[in-house]
Amino acid sequence: MLNDIVFFLTEAVNGMRRSGMMIVISVATVTVSLLVFGIFLLVSVNITHLANFMASKLEIRVYLKDSVGESDVSMFRDRLRAMPQVKKLEYVSREEGWKQFQTSYPTMALGEMITQNPLPNSFRVFVVDDSQFVSFAKYLSSIEEYVEDVTYGDIMAERIQMLYRFCRYSGYILVGLLTMATLMIVMNTIRLTVIARQAEIEIMQLVGATNPFIRAPFLIEGFLIGVIGSLLSVGILRPMYSYLAIEFQKKVPFVPLVYDPVTLRYVYFAITGAGIFLGTVGAFIAVSRTLKTKY
Amino acid sequence: MIRIKKLVKKYPNGFLALDNIDLHVGKGEFIYLVGPSGAGKSTLLDVIFRSELPTSGDIYIDNFSLNHLKPAQVPYYRRNIGMIFQDYKLLPGRTVYDNVAFALRVMHYPRSRIHRHVSQVLELVGLSEKVNHVTAELSGGEQQRICIARAIVNNPPILLADEPTGSLDPETSWEIMQLLSKINSRQTTVLVATHNKSIVDDIRKRVVVLESGKIVRDKHFGTYDG
Repeated sequence: MLNDIVFFLTEAVNGMRRSGMMIVISVATVTVSLLVFGIFLLVSVNITHLANFMASKLEIRVYLKDSVGESDVSMFRDRLRAMPQVKKLEYVSREEGWKQFQTSYPTMALGEMITQNPLPNSFRVFVVDDSQFVSFAKYLSSIEEYVEDVTYGDIMAERIQMLYRFCRYSGYILVGLLTMATLMIVMNTIRLTVIARQAEIEIMQLVGATNPFIRAPFLIEGFLIGVIGSLLSVGILRPMYSYLAIEFQKKVPFVPLVYDPVTLRYVYFAITGAGIFLGTVGAFIAVSRTLKTKY
Repeated sequence: MIRIKKLVKKYPNGFLALDNIDLHVGKGEFIYLVGPSGAGKSTLLDVIFRSELPTSGDIYIDNFSLNHLKPAQVPYYRRNIGMIFQDYKLLPGRTVYDNVAFALRVMHYPRSRIHRHVSQVLELVGLSEKVNHVTAELSGGEQQRICIARAIVNNPPILLADEPTGSLDPETSWEIMQLLSKINSRQTTVLVATHNKSIVDDIRKRVVVLESGKIVRDKHFGTYDG
């Protein structure tokens, strides 16, 4: 067994050396394909992040009827808190609300125009699942015994939700399509290196080598092509992204980009994983086609 | 050893390469398959080696019917048969040693045994000095010797040779045939398809003559023409 593994490894490395230019082309193809794949992945991650960020700013404001007394307020608070959709809940008394309002719009000199506080008591409600945001807001407005009015930036919220959904699904579809395109490219490139060695494969079959035995070195080659190609593309992508992100932020500071090293690490792992997967699977499919025989 | 019964091979284009062949080959026999080009000599070897499937009929090796051979078993079956090709079919870019050793590696031999067997067989074919040469550096006769060494390195009971001297000069051809004779003397059954009249006439063995896919003559100690 160990014998075989050593043999397969040396076969793979020697095979790559013998293929020379073909391997260089394969690696370059994998690198470029993964680069495109990686750029789309980063763009997709950022758009999702942006949509997420905007969605997290969404809040439902529930204004209470003036007739609702303090004990009722705490009862309603408990009721809200028990709802599974509620992520965060904040009570804003009418005094507090007034203060906030005045600090938000200091130039209006409201104190002179309106002497009495016109605001009712209210709750700021943040929801767990953004996709239920609108329906939940509507539901809250139906609790008439407590609720005077509910605001949630109706149209804005719906738009953001649509954008969010659109980004997520189009991202999935795009990444899926790109994975397939990359697989095709990688497979066909590796297939060229296999075709170049078709005679060799036939000889191996004639000498009594089983298909797995013939396939093994090619799989290792595909794996190595994937590893080298993906490391190269990550090596290009990482500094490029850092640079572009900083430049972008200088120009458009209010749009948040993904800096979180954990998320970025996931992206780079995904690219590396995709490269290794595509290289190995590409080699497998390419060799299997050649191994089909007539007997 | 080999029993061939009512063997027919018809190619998709309608060409009838083997027409109802019956042949019995005993253990340790040496047979020349002769006849004009297209007579079916190579096809017969290919069907025995299972690089072609017969259209009908059957081949028995030691009473095992090849009709029962599954595709996945073919590599294991071939390890019992050494095959020598006119164009040698050596793995390019590899040394003499690696080419011969490959036949044992596919059988998962440990390294030390591979080394021992390869050294012995290269000695037998007279290539001990060239172990580490890349095959492309060697002459036709030497490459044919590598091919022979690879075919017999695991001591298969049957050796098939398809025009082994087809691209060699008379002297080298003679040496190669001497080598096959020597291998035959170790009780290996040998079938040689050849055009080489002088060799068939000089090294007298059983001669099977094929014409248009049929056996027209089968004679012990025969000659090329009769």
